[in-house]
Amino acid sequence: MKLSYKKNKVLIMVVVVILLVFLLNVFQKEVRSLFYSFSAPIQKVLFRAGESTSDFFQGIVRLKTLKQELDELKIENQELLSQVVALENLKKENKSLRQALGLGLQEDFKLSSAQVVGRDISQDFILIDKGAQDNISKDMPVITEQRVLVGKISQVYENSSKAMLISHKESSFDVKIQKEEKDITGIVKGQGNSKVLLDFVPREENLSQGDIVVTSVFGGIFPKGLLVGRIKQIKKSDVEPFQQAEIEPFFHISQTNNLFIILEF
Amino acid sequence: MFKKILISIIVFYFLVLIQTSFLVHFTIFDAVPNIVLILVIIWNLLEKRKNYLGLINALIGGFFLDIFSVGFIGFYVLILVGLAIFIKLIFKRYVQIPFIDKI
Repeated sequence: MKLSYKKNKVLIMVVVVILLVFLLNVFQKEVRSLFYSFSAPIQKVLFRAGESTSDFFQGIVRLKTLKQELDELKIENQELLSQVVALENLKKENKSLRQALGLGLQEDFKLSSAQVVGRDISQDFILIDKGAQDNISKDMPVITEQRVLVGKISQVYENSSKAMLISHKESSFDVKIQKEEKDITGIVKGQGNSKVLLDFVPREENLSQGDIVVTSVFGGIFPKGLLVGRIKQIKKSDVEPFQQAEIEPFFHISQTNNLFIILEF
Repeated sequence: MFKKILISIIVFYFLVLIQTSFLVHFTIFDAVPNIVLILVIIWNLLEKRKNYLGLINALIGGFFLDIFSVGFIGFYVLILVGLAIFIKLIFKRYVQIPFIDKI
């Protein structure tokens, strides 16, 4: 008798837990939204604290390599400055030609700024502090101040949203590598754990290490010209019709405070 | 017991917040250390077999991990409770660790 009472008690508990899990999943958006709304202020503080602490320790650990890195960056900066001057001239020329042809200047995106408050424990998702109240909707692209592509909105809550990073396994979009002779097109696929792969680039195309990958207009998911990353390692095989390349994404979660959501493009 | 559960809820809530917001800056091979999982394992290893606060902690920790992740709610609860049951019923029955048994 005692045993059957104990058995019943366990059975009731199991049924209650199953029902609770079922209900939580039915109302998961509301439940998560509630938790995120009161956790966001604490998460913001923790995120900033983590960032400054990690910066401090990284500075100590990387003291030796910093000098070398600084020299490399100085050279790169000089190269980029010369490119900026050349581009400024082209911009002026473009502007005067547009005026002469009676065309308006290309409008930039309509943006909404947001801050990162956390990262999903299953990786490749970030939580930001803007949600349905700020007119954010699903699939909107997320970028940084430097027009670096971060990902797209995957879930919208009342005061916050989840953005799927470009490194997520379900993420894939069209890109191009700008070359002097002609642009090379391909598809960037997320590999999980902040890794990104460039795929479907015809074997005969001449990819090289350090090439910059930007979004292209073909996919329609993201606006064209957003920075994705730099080619790190090329994987080419004689039997495969396409070549692949590992990409080092420009976006890094620990180096980004402010993000922008593209509301219209 | 109620007081202990309440403390566990508060502790695990803040641990998950620390894990998702603070520790993301301290990755090891691009992975964030799962302190909730570590705490549940340690708790269940150190706790006596007849006590069941370790199981409740696994349930609470799993619930908060589920809330701050993308998948269905119940995924981490299943993993952590399963792990706690394994440690309590199987691991501690067949494996004896002198250091732990003395506690």
